[in-house]
Amino acid sequence: MNSFGATNRAYGAKPEHYFRAGICFFFFALCGNLSGQTQSLYEIARPGYAYQFPRDYFSHPGYQTEWWYYTGNVVAGDGHRFGFELTFFRQATDRDPTRDKTWDVRDLYLAHAALSDLDGGKFFHVERLNRRGPEIAGASEAQQKVWNGNWQVKWKGENQELLAIDKNFSLDLNLVSEKAPVIHGKKGISQKSAGDGHASHYISLTRMATKGELELNGKSYDVTGLSWMDHEFFTTQLDTSQQGWDWLSVQLTDRTELMLYRFRRKNGTVSPFSSGTYIDTQGKSTHLRANDFSLEADGTTWKSQTTAALYPIGWKITIPQLGIVLEAKTPLPAQELTSQTNLAPSYWEGAITLAGNRGTQALSGVGYLELTGYDHAIHLP
Amino acid sequence: MASLLLFYRLLVRPLFREPVRTALTIFAIALGVAVVLAIDLAGSAAAGSFRSSMETLAGDNDLEVVATGGVPESAVGTLAQLPFSLRISPRIEGFAALTDMKESLPLIGLDLVAGGSSFTGANSRTNFGAATTQDPQQGLRDLENPDAVYVGASLGHKTGEHIELLINDQSKTYTIRGVYPDANGNESAVVMDIAAAQRALTRFGSVDRILIKVPSAPSLEVWQRRLQATLPPGLEVRTQGTGTAENRRMLQAFRWNLRLLSYISLVVGAFLIYNTISISVVRRRAEIGIVRALGAGRNTVLAAFVGEAAVFGMVGALLGLPLGRVMASGAVRLMATTVDALYVSSRPGAIALTADSIVSVFVVGIGVAVASAFAPAREAALVSPVEAMARGRREYDVGVHKMRDLVIAMGLAIAAGAASRGPAIAGKPLLGYLSALLLIVASVLAIPAFVDAVTQASSQLLKRALGIEALLASRSLRASLRRTSVLVGALSTAIAMMTSVGIMVGSFRETVILWMADRLPADLYVRPAGNAAADRHPTLSLDLANAITTLPGVAAVDRLRSYEITYDGLPATLASVDLQILSSYNLRNYKKSEFFSGRPTEQVLAELSDANTVVVSEPFSYKHHVKAGDSLALSLGAVQQFFKIVDVYYDYSSERGNIIMDRNTLLKYLPDEAPSNLAVYVTPDTPVAQVRSEIMQAAGGHRILIFSNANLRGEAIRIFDRTFAITYAMEAVAIVVAVMGVAGALLALVIDRRRELGLLRFLGAAKNQIRKLILLEAALLGLLANVAGVILGFAISLVLIFVINKQSFGWTIRFHWPVAILLVALTSVYIATVVAGLYPAELAVRLNPLEVVHDE
Repeated sequence: MNSFGATNRAYGAKPEHYFRAGICFFFFALCGNLSGQTQSLYEIARPGYAYQFPRDYFSHPGYQTEWWYYTGNVVAGDGHRFGFELTFFRQATDRDPTRDKTWDVRDLYLAHAALSDLDGGKFFHVERLNRRGPEIAGASEAQQKVWNGNWQVKWKGENQELLAIDKNFSLDLNLVSEKAPVIHGKKGISQKSAGDGHASHYISLTRMATKGELELNGKSYDVTGLSWMDHEFFTTQLDTSQQGWDWLSVQLTDRTELMLYRFRRKNGTVSPFSSGTYIDTQGKSTHLRANDFSLEADGTTWKSQTTAALYPIGWKITIPQLGIVLEAKTPLPAQELTSQTNLAPSYWEGAITLAGNRGTQALSGVGYLELTGYDHAIHLP
Repeated sequence: MASLLLFYRLLVRPLFREPVRTALTIFAIALGVAVVLAIDLAGSAAAGSFRSSMETLAGDNDLEVVATGGVPESAVGTLAQLPFSLRISPRIEGFAALTDMKESLPLIGLDLVAGGSSFTGANSRTNFGAATTQDPQQGLRDLENPDAVYVGASLGHKTGEHIELLINDQSKTYTIRGVYPDANGNESAVVMDIAAAQRALTRFGSVDRILIKVPSAPSLEVWQRRLQATLPPGLEVRTQGTGTAENRRMLQAFRWNLRLLSYISLVVGAFLIYNTISISVVRRRAEIGIVRALGAGRNTVLAAFVGEAAVFGMVGALLGLPLGRVMASGAVRLMATTVDALYVSSRPGAIALTADSIVSVFVVGIGVAVASAFAPAREAALVSPVEAMARGRREYDVGVHKMRDLVIAMGLAIAAGAASRGPAIAGKPLLGYLSALLLIVASVLAIPAFVDAVTQASSQLLKRALGIEALLASRSLRASLRRTSVLVGALSTAIAMMTSVGIMVGSFRETVILWMADRLPADLYVRPAGNAAADRHPTLSLDLANAITTLPGVAAVDRLRSYEITYDGLPATLASVDLQILSSYNLRNYKKSEFFSGRPTEQVLAELSDANTVVVSEPFSYKHHVKAGDSLALSLGAVQQFFKIVDVYYDYSSERGNIIMDRNTLLKYLPDEAPSNLAVYVTPDTPVAQVRSEIMQAAGGHRILIFSNANLRGEAIRIFDRTFAITYAMEAVAIVVAVMGVAGALLALVIDRRRELGLLRFLGAAKNQIRKLILLEAALLGLLANVAGVILGFAISLVLIFVINKQSFGWTIRFHWPVAILLVALTSVYIATVVAGLYPAELAVRLNPLEVVHDE
């Protein structure tokens, strides 16, 4: 589960970005409108989907929307902490079989890269949008690669190499999953709202040992840490009553992991389709329904200067059946990804630290928190 | 204060006494200066600040990837995935003609999805998305609609309007999805998404250029090497705008020659100043004597006359400045036409009257005036007070060392001959120009002897033919030999320039006509509609070409394909022909070899068949110093291949240089079968008109132009004439300047000879006789100038054709007398000269003999 939200913000973009901005906007906000006409072109997430790896790590062009999220907490040799995010989106826009030329836009590929300098107190983020074109972007099992230009995830056996290059920072990380892929929800689907097919196929790699190098403003750091991968594909998901969501991934020191999200509705209530997954040390996952856990803001907030959104950045997690009580805090309040165009969605996605206990046992961990819909309601297919 | 008074008395007052003559002189300088300025300004706008129209919206990139026949689009993916922080902007580049405006605009296909699109970085004011902001949903539909275009604001269209565009041979209606500010048309283009542009041009699989912005470190050269290493060998990574630089280089010779041509008017103007000041000196000898007697030094007198010239120069420059600016507007249009027709699609820059050009106008105007006034001013300074003040003394005329000058002239003519044999220096025919200059100087020096000899020999003849007035006219011209020589020199130089350029252009034109007779054997020629330009090669649809081939009455169709390429840093054209058709249908027309080797055409064509061999055009051979037997390394698509030159052929179609190979050979490397032109051969028993209408019908929705053989030749000559329009315009100005000079000089002549004319009247000459005398003098002057001018012009035309043209452009031109044009031109000049004598003649008639003789 991740941010795929958009806004109906008044247009305030710099003129040079109008065109692109229009596309971004469309990318996020208008699929719903188009999907009315085109939905039948795409498959919908249905129970009983037969997962198969490594095939399902790559593209599912039959579904309209697909994304790959990589987030992680790493630390340099000198103790300097960083968080990173590298995400790839694919949005199908056209399946007209006659439009089969290289540059014809059949899918739009959006990508975000972010680096949180947790101890330096700085946050860097970049976005890019491409079509597939002549292999400019894509997700290919044959090539064992998900990429958008020179932002790439290359699979080498069980290892994944993450590459991202930007003016200010670059990442070159090697990720090795310590557990089998987790399939969230029930019967292979993660139900997001009422109705047949309002669901996604949702896969995670919840504990990936991470080692590599990152460079920030010309200075390079050898880092190690833990990463998390989310991969979802779907055609329809939300309903119009939904305002946004709060999502987090947690990697605990006892080698267990948690994924939790809750949908906020426009009327202020929490959707019963909120859910989560607990992964034990062996990699066995347990589905958590909305009333199996509580996810409450602790009142710590951070207000964005850019979007004026007020984000709740401290959370209390309670999972009675597991005896888990955790407090999530962030070392860096400013981790909002604002679109360069002001038209694409803005959301908060950042590294967090967790502290609490399981029963009487003290428990801590790291994770990533995602907050959407705090400036405007999210539209999703 | 005293010297100012002197200046006023000696110089300013006489000027006001003869306002017509003063005005003529000043205006002559103004015209001369104006032409130089106009050509300079127009040259900067059309050629110097030349921007290839393909640089439209190209932005601030550092490098570009190019390849003949297009860069395979896979290179875009390769570059996009390189682990460097680059901005990659692939572009499709073509032309779109606005059907309603008959104007070709660059058609630019950009990746409008990509964030790093060149265009977002190109021009921060550029806004392609006005439409999308109003209706964001439209954004994606626009991408999916192949009819969405974005146009520059200067076209005056609004978002949502429809626009009819002719792209290759297809005319379609497109919808304007956005209008962007285009800097007063300087960035004006038709922009499409890259997918739509490929569709519109039916050019799939490749892009025309990939623009790249690299980080500032390491150096550009390192990036160039680094990126080159990642790409196939046929692809070239070079600094962005290399094409523009190459085009500029190509245009240099053109601009240079035009500029030198523009100096002709100035040279003629210099003669006139020399003449004017000389006359002043002669006429004011008495005043000079008085001033000297009153204590003015030689230097004061020298300074006064030079000062007078400087004032002439300054006033002339002041007038010439606005005049030149106005003329530049016309010149830039003419020049842009030439550049488009002969070289490259260009976009003339704005005419910028810079401080530099203003300063140079004054430097040139005053400089020429002072330089040409120096000799007569020195003469004035040498006048001794006593001599000048002696009453009753006849007017002084400096003796002319005509024999000594003739000897020098012959020496100079020999030097001119020697200089014409010299090679080009730094690609410029400097020695050729030196040779032409030497010829002019030689002619000027030889003129006194010529005038003397002719007038002496012809005076009795004239007397018998035209009466006593003719004898007097002839004698008078001979008596004041120096003044006559200066006038004949000025006018004959102008005439010589006109004649030489006329002969050169005429010879060129005739050569082209003869060449076309050999080279255009087919009955009909088909090409996509739209204006032709040397570097635009729109293609015809393949299905149309196939359809035409199968029409009844069509014997064969030669499919010609042209590509715009770069060879060794200079633009050139690479073309392919269908050898089979050429050999079977073409040869019957060849009367003589079109190749340097003199071999029969079929023999050369046989060597081209299905082999890595080419023939190159003469300008190509000349520019790149290659000949038969040499090899050319050409990058075609993604490969690099050597091609052996089997022969060089005469070609006058373009100055850029052509490489021609077999169609089969080219298709192996660039497998795009769409032809640029079709040469259609009609079966002997079918009327050409019938096939023409069949083709018209077959064309259906395709927009094509069909030329019959005669049409095409006519069209080619029309373009040729348009190309040389500016040359004619400049010559016309030089002639106007010269004729004005003659008018001024005759006026001075009359005023000077008041005493003589008065005496004649006193002795019983009728008014008519006086009028006749003056007109005959004008006629005689004109005749002398014409004869001298044609002789000099002929000599210079040889230098122009065989030295300057050859070294600048590499064309072999056959000498040809354009008799009709020359006769018309010379006659008009002659009539103008005689007409210029009318006013002075009237003035002479109106002289009061009593008053004049009273003076004596």
